[in-house]
Amino acid sequence: MPSPSDRRPLESWQDPKAAPYVRIDRVTKQFGDVYAVDDVSLNIFQGEFFSLLGSSGCGKSTLLRLLAGLEYPTSGRIYIDGVDVTDVPPYSRPVNMMFQSYALFPHMTVEQNIEFGLKQDRLPRRERAERVGEMLDLLRITELRKRRPDQLSGGQRQRVALARSLAKHPKLLLLDEPLGALDKRLRENTQFELVNLQERLGITFVTVTHDQEEAMTMSSRIAVMDAGQIMQVDTPTAIYEFPNSRFVAEFIGSVNLFEGKIVAIQGDDVLIEAQFGGLMRMRSLQPHPIGTPAVVAIRPEKLRLCQTPSDDGVNRLQGVVEDIAYLGDVSIYRIRTGGGTLVEMTLTNIQPRTEQALTWEQEVWVEWSPTSGVVLTD
Amino acid sequence: MKRRSWPLLSVLAFGYAFLYVPILLLILYSFNESRLVTVWSGFSFKWYGELLHNRQLLDAAWLSVRIAAVNATIALVLGTLAANALVRHGRFRGRTGLELLLTAPLVMPDVIIGLSMLLLFVALQQTIGWPDGRGFSTITIAHITFSLAYVAVVVRSRLARMDASLEEAAMDLGARPLTVYRRITLPLIAPALLSGWLLAFTLSLDDLVIASFVSGPGSTTLPMVIYSSVRMGVSPQINALATLVVAVVALAVVIAGFSLRRR
Repeated sequence: MPSPSDRRPLESWQDPKAAPYVRIDRVTKQFGDVYAVDDVSLNIFQGEFFSLLGSSGCGKSTLLRLLAGLEYPTSGRIYIDGVDVTDVPPYSRPVNMMFQSYALFPHMTVEQNIEFGLKQDRLPRRERAERVGEMLDLLRITELRKRRPDQLSGGQRQRVALARSLAKHPKLLLLDEPLGALDKRLRENTQFELVNLQERLGITFVTVTHDQEEAMTMSSRIAVMDAGQIMQVDTPTAIYEFPNSRFVAEFIGSVNLFEGKIVAIQGDDVLIEAQFGGLMRMRSLQPHPIGTPAVVAIRPEKLRLCQTPSDDGVNRLQGVVEDIAYLGDVSIYRIRTGGGTLVEMTLTNIQPRTEQALTWEQEVWVEWSPTSGVVLTD
Repeated sequence: MKRRSWPLLSVLAFGYAFLYVPILLLILYSFNESRLVTVWSGFSFKWYGELLHNRQLLDAAWLSVRIAAVNATIALVLGTLAANALVRHGRFRGRTGLELLLTAPLVMPDVIIGLSMLLLFVALQQTIGWPDGRGFSTITIAHITFSLAYVAVVVRSRLARMDASLEEAAMDLGARPLTVYRRITLPLIAPALLSGWLLAFTLSLDDLVIASFVSGPGSTTLPMVIYSSVRMGVSPQINALATLVVAVVALAVVIAGFSLRRR
């Protein structure tokens, strides 16, 4: 599945001259004693598809509501397009939001729902009708325009909610779990549609999601959140390949963590004495003092499986195949190593399954190269 | 339900009979020709005709309807405001107090409410000279104090079930708080407002106890007239009038029920 974000030419967040479209400056939101958002600073640029990713209760929804003006921060400032909007009420912000529950007005038709925001702007009738027509077209829901929300399916409601939030041509659209209420098949189609829509309209999207796959597919950048704080902000690729902490490594996808202690630096590589009783050599450009405890994080698909060990003696583990889960395109192997830890790895099933040599209880070597993982020292 | 269990059905029939046979008898006897309430002598609209010429009864009925309507309207406004405060404004100072004081009239005996109201009005009259005599306004005020509690309960449960993100969405789309209330909140709680109003109306219409305390000479409500005339011997006119009241109340209840069931 090609990630739509790979097509993206602009990378405004890397351009030092670019001014952020949304600037969140040391924002904290407290509910009683609870810090829902804890000293968060974040820059989001024009045209981005930005995702706030985290498990429930991590503060991502609160952060989105702060941008919408539905909550006011306890401290810190929020700027949109250079203007301080921290104290601006939601009805005066150049921002629209698509709610998780869609929040369609049950006593209005689809048409009236879409028109509602335009009426608040006192647009002339002709222009309103035009804009509503344009939105109905854009989301291909023209035939639903006379229906009421309770006569729509989940997918249709999602499109109406999207149409309503886009009708005022906002520069910034906030989406709270935009695909959360859809079934799996519909969700995958809608993901691509959302991204296409966003690129076509050139609107900055900020979405909230707990679904990492969704965030990976759609986003230009992802902010991984935990306990009200931002753990890492980066492109989907960077978040997956170069997590900056144990939390992010474990939160996104599966990962094997090998603990150890840094014993030597050799050029660009560090040597780590592993707890499983061997040496690991990993590429790491950050300076590490010798003696620091470190964790080597390696994704399951970046491990190699060998029948006989290669000769350089580092980055390898011996074990037996304990579990094989055949998923069709790939198989997941669980290898029980000498120290008792389980190593998880995935192999693409290049050959038909019947011809595969590996079986249960077989003795194997698990190996990896210095560039296939990261060294974490937090 | 294909299989009917006869014991259960007969229990049900007995229950309904217990509740409604007295009222049915009353309606039946309102069409009785005889002057004696307990002897059936033939079908007639005679008592309805006489009722139309009974000024005392008609005046009392008109006073009761006016009080009930004014009471219901004011109680609706106040009760809705209270419900809004309780549901939409989180934990403000004095919230528990408001909640408690608001529900107290629901369980307070009518006699106590009536007596305390009477004491209040007398004291007020002695200190500020108002109310100058008791009647329409004192009865209405007394009725508002307890019916607003009922309105608040009905509206509150409706507001609490309403998805708060609807109001947020309207605000996000550019509507100011008052517009949000008018265009989103009010239409969605309208059924509860209607049934709250009707509830307050009927509560006031059939109140005897409180009205007896706070009414004055020349302002006799319908229940008071009926009650006092029964003591002197029931005229079949009362049956006719009671039938009309039952019809009005039943209609109100049916409308309220329907409007609450719709979404």
